[in-house]
Amino acid sequence: MINIQNLSKIFSTEEIETKALNNVSLQIQQGEFVTIMGASGCGKSTLLNIVGLLDNVSSGSYKLLDREINGLSEAEKSKIRKQNIGFVFQNFNLIDELSVYDNIELPLIYNNVPASERKKKVEAIAERLAISHRLKHYPQQLSGGQQQRVAVARALINDPKIILADEPTGNLDSKNGNEVMELLTDLHANGATILMVTHSDYDASFSQKTIFMKDGMVLTEKQNSRNVDVLVSNS
Amino acid sequence: MLKNWIKIFLYQLKNNKFFTALNVLGLSLGIAGLVFAILYWNDEQSYNAWNPNKEKVFYTVTNLGEGNIWGSSSAALAPKLPTAVPEIESFCYTNGWYDNGIFKYKEKKQLVEKVMSAQQNFFSFFPFTILRGNAATALQNDGMAVSESVAKQFFGTEDPVNKQVFYKKKYYTVKCVYKIEGRSSYEPAVIVNDVETYLKENQDKWGNFSYSLLLKLKNPADADIARQKIDKLYFDYRTVPSAKESGMTPQEYEKKYESAHVILEPLKSLRLHSVVEDAPEGRGNLQFLTIMVVLSLLILILSIVNYINLATAGAIKRAKEVGVRKILGAGKANIIRQFVFETVITTLFAILLSLVIVELSLPYYNDFLYKELVIYGGQFYLQLILIFIVVVIAAGIFPAVYVSNFETLKVLKGNFGRSKSGIWLRNAMLILQFAIASFFIVGSYIVYQQVDYMATKDLGFSGSQVIDITYNNSYDREDENSEKITLQKFYSIKDRLSKIKGIKEVSAGTFAFGGGSINTSGFIYKDIFVQPQNMAVDFNMLEMMKIKITQGRGLSEKFASDTIESALLNETAVRMIKEKDPIGKTIEWNDKKLKVVGVVADFHNKGLNQDIPPMIFFHFKTVPWMIYNVHNIFATVDPKELETTLPEIEKYWVSEIDPDYPFSYDFVDKRFARTYESYAKQRNLFSLLNLVVITIALFGLFALASYSIQRRMKEIAIRKTLGAETQTLLKELSKQYIVFCVIGFVIALFPAYMLLDKWLDNFAFRISISPIPFIVGFIVLMLLTLIVVLSKAFQATRVNVLKYLKYE
Repeated sequence: MINIQNLSKIFSTEEIETKALNNVSLQIQQGEFVTIMGASGCGKSTLLNIVGLLDNVSSGSYKLLDREINGLSEAEKSKIRKQNIGFVFQNFNLIDELSVYDNIELPLIYNNVPASERKKKVEAIAERLAISHRLKHYPQQLSGGQQQRVAVARALINDPKIILADEPTGNLDSKNGNEVMELLTDLHANGATILMVTHSDYDASFSQKTIFMKDGMVLTEKQNSRNVDVLVSNS
Repeated sequence: MLKNWIKIFLYQLKNNKFFTALNVLGLSLGIAGLVFAILYWNDEQSYNAWNPNKEKVFYTVTNLGEGNIWGSSSAALAPKLPTAVPEIESFCYTNGWYDNGIFKYKEKKQLVEKVMSAQQNFFSFFPFTILRGNAATALQNDGMAVSESVAKQFFGTEDPVNKQVFYKKKYYTVKCVYKIEGRSSYEPAVIVNDVETYLKENQDKWGNFSYSLLLKLKNPADADIARQKIDKLYFDYRTVPSAKESGMTPQEYEKKYESAHVILEPLKSLRLHSVVEDAPEGRGNLQFLTIMVVLSLLILILSIVNYINLATAGAIKRAKEVGVRKILGAGKANIIRQFVFETVITTLFAILLSLVIVELSLPYYNDFLYKELVIYGGQFYLQLILIFIVVVIAAGIFPAVYVSNFETLKVLKGNFGRSKSGIWLRNAMLILQFAIASFFIVGSYIVYQQVDYMATKDLGFSGSQVIDITYNNSYDREDENSEKITLQKFYSIKDRLSKIKGIKEVSAGTFAFGGGSINTSGFIYKDIFVQPQNMAVDFNMLEMMKIKITQGRGLSEKFASDTIESALLNETAVRMIKEKDPIGKTIEWNDKKLKVVGVVADFHNKGLNQDIPPMIFFHFKTVPWMIYNVHNIFATVDPKELETTLPEIEKYWVSEIDPDYPFSYDFVDKRFARTYESYAKQRNLFSLLNLVVITIALFGLFALASYSIQRRMKEIAIRKTLGAETQTLLKELSKQYIVFCVIGFVIALFPAYMLLDKWLDNFAFRISISPIPFIVGFIVLMLLTLIVVLSKAFQATRVNVLKYLKYE
């Protein structure tokens, strides 16, 4: 599903050049749940942003669904992004001025889904994530856990091929954090492909594979022992 | 503390150069507008303000009914006033207008304008500063009082007192030199006392309203009593005898032909509030003055609103600074002081800049107003300080209080940049700006339409190839053949002019296009009273001006009766006398029986702000004394020969007709255009202000859109991440501004319609307000709004999403 070969990313300011990613290669298969870990500044978020088509690469190749991304125009990338990728952020990134319902509905609007269908979809996903009673509220009126559920709902509403999560539990307490992780595991169990960036070993342990990064390079890959099936029964 | 404030202020200045510049510029344009209006206002208000008699002296206006309201009175009042109206302390007749003429002193011979004729006690009404001689006796016999500038012009460093000056056929002795300090409704350059002779000649002519009368009352509160007593004099001596003559009772007569009624106008308010324009220095244009003041206030409000908007929007960026200051112990009052301090500095800048703007453009402004305004005077500086205080309070206090109310913790925690506080106010102000801008756009369009209408209207005559030569018709009434000589002189000029190459035709009438006829006589036809303009003409006059005859025929040499009794009426006059078939009817006009031979199509000879008056036409020979009233000679010129024709006319004119007066001519259509010149100027002013207003409003919109979009950057980033396309984002971002634009426009609709409709009422011939100015105004405003907002929004959609997603 994702095939990255020798990918490099260089940030340059007036004075210095920083190699955020240095010849990174990485494959993610459909249905995989992969975690990227590493210290602050190791390039994991940059990698995630590139995978999410939010950032450009300096060199190398990135194929999403067998299609080369490097070199596509903004508009094409925007199109691929809205059809294939769902985002979950550490700070939720909800629009405060819009209600929960409106926030979840946004990707559908941008994908030109008719209004009646949108309503059905939003209600369905809200029920699935147990936030139906919150649809009329505004983000600021919700707890962090609830906000992240809304963000997840928004990421899922469009049935994306891959979910990108950037420290999804970073702003949550352990109880809410757990809930979100269980949600992701649940999604994975149902066939979703997930790429997650995290600082937490515990969170990483929910995934099948953990990639450790340092100074813009992939250090090691580790298969996690945790059995997915057990967790499904737990949740 | 002050040093710290200045440091931060300078830092903000450096980092927000563009917005600070917009802000200061906007504010200074607003202040400059008000300064202009104040200069004009001060000048108009200063008229007669210096005069210690301004409350006691009254200008007499006479209302003769039928819209005939004149700033003149009958000389016959003079002998009656002292006994009949004891409220009057003294009175002074003047000839009511300025004369001009050639003055000769030794070899020096020059034209002097603004020569006034007044009774001896004039200086007790207008106590000008006397530089030399004695004012009390200056106007006795052939005495003359001259202003400082005329004294300099003729006598240089010599003492003018007791020098002999030749003017209009006799010698006068200069008795005093005066200087007029401040503006006055009477600002003569020279004063003589000729009026005395005419007053004596006319002292029993109750129907001759040729002189201007000034009254000084013992007690200004008695003005109404004095007025009633003068009314009674007119009734007793004018209405009663006339009634007797026509065999009616005075009451019947009064019902039919109004008696004369007097209006007494105190000198204090004469300049702006007189019902007539007849004071020698004219009347100030109160309406235009009011428009100037109101428009400039609107612009100032606009720029203050701008300032507040920018300040509150910008303050969000400074929330952290405020938070830290508060934690370190700054009280609310202290924060307010800091921000007001910044406004004080900004306003000072703006005022200085506005004074520069005013100073630089004052010559154009003076040209525009026909004035000589200068930035000067204690009163002006006081007003400037007042403006400063008002601007600081209006523009400074609100943003300062707004900032000081920031909640410390919220601010320091971050996330304050997206705060919604104060947004409703900014939006309301934006709507106000849109409303003001709409008003200006629509208003200037309508003004433009009206002026265009006047410029292109069919005036009923064709003056594009006709020149109008000013004819200083001199004559000597004492010569018994004067009328014949004067007529003969005209014919010889006509003959001579016709021979100049390029001149096709020459004619004259006792009127000018754009000025009308100064001569009018009432007549009664079948019990209907009409007061037509008297239009004595040469045979070819109407034909030459392409004025149409709708019934009957024009005047012609072929008919002997056309120099004896034939007359034409214009359509208005025919309408007024309600005569369906006027041809062949007889009119009793000033003891003469005139026979109507034709009807002249209505044409404009006065400005389009006035209705076309009734007119009566006859040949010079029919009413011989009318030749005295010829002051314009008209000639059709061949445009191809113009370059040689005009110098030739001038050469002939200066050498043979009038060596003393400057040769002056103009094309008839140009001269007529002067009747609406002041409105053309108003149009230009409105357009200029329109430009200023739109500029300020767009500044404001631009800045506000910048801040607001800045505030929404994260939202934009999220939407982009979720797949929003540029087009969708642009729509999202510009939506609210379009709504504000529409609301602002709707608010302005009604006031714009009302006020402009009122302005159009100035004109007897006016356009009706069509939807076009509104549609055009709306489209223009909307386009400008979209250009500003979309350019800003487009920029926003181009930025890197990551910057706003991550770090907040």
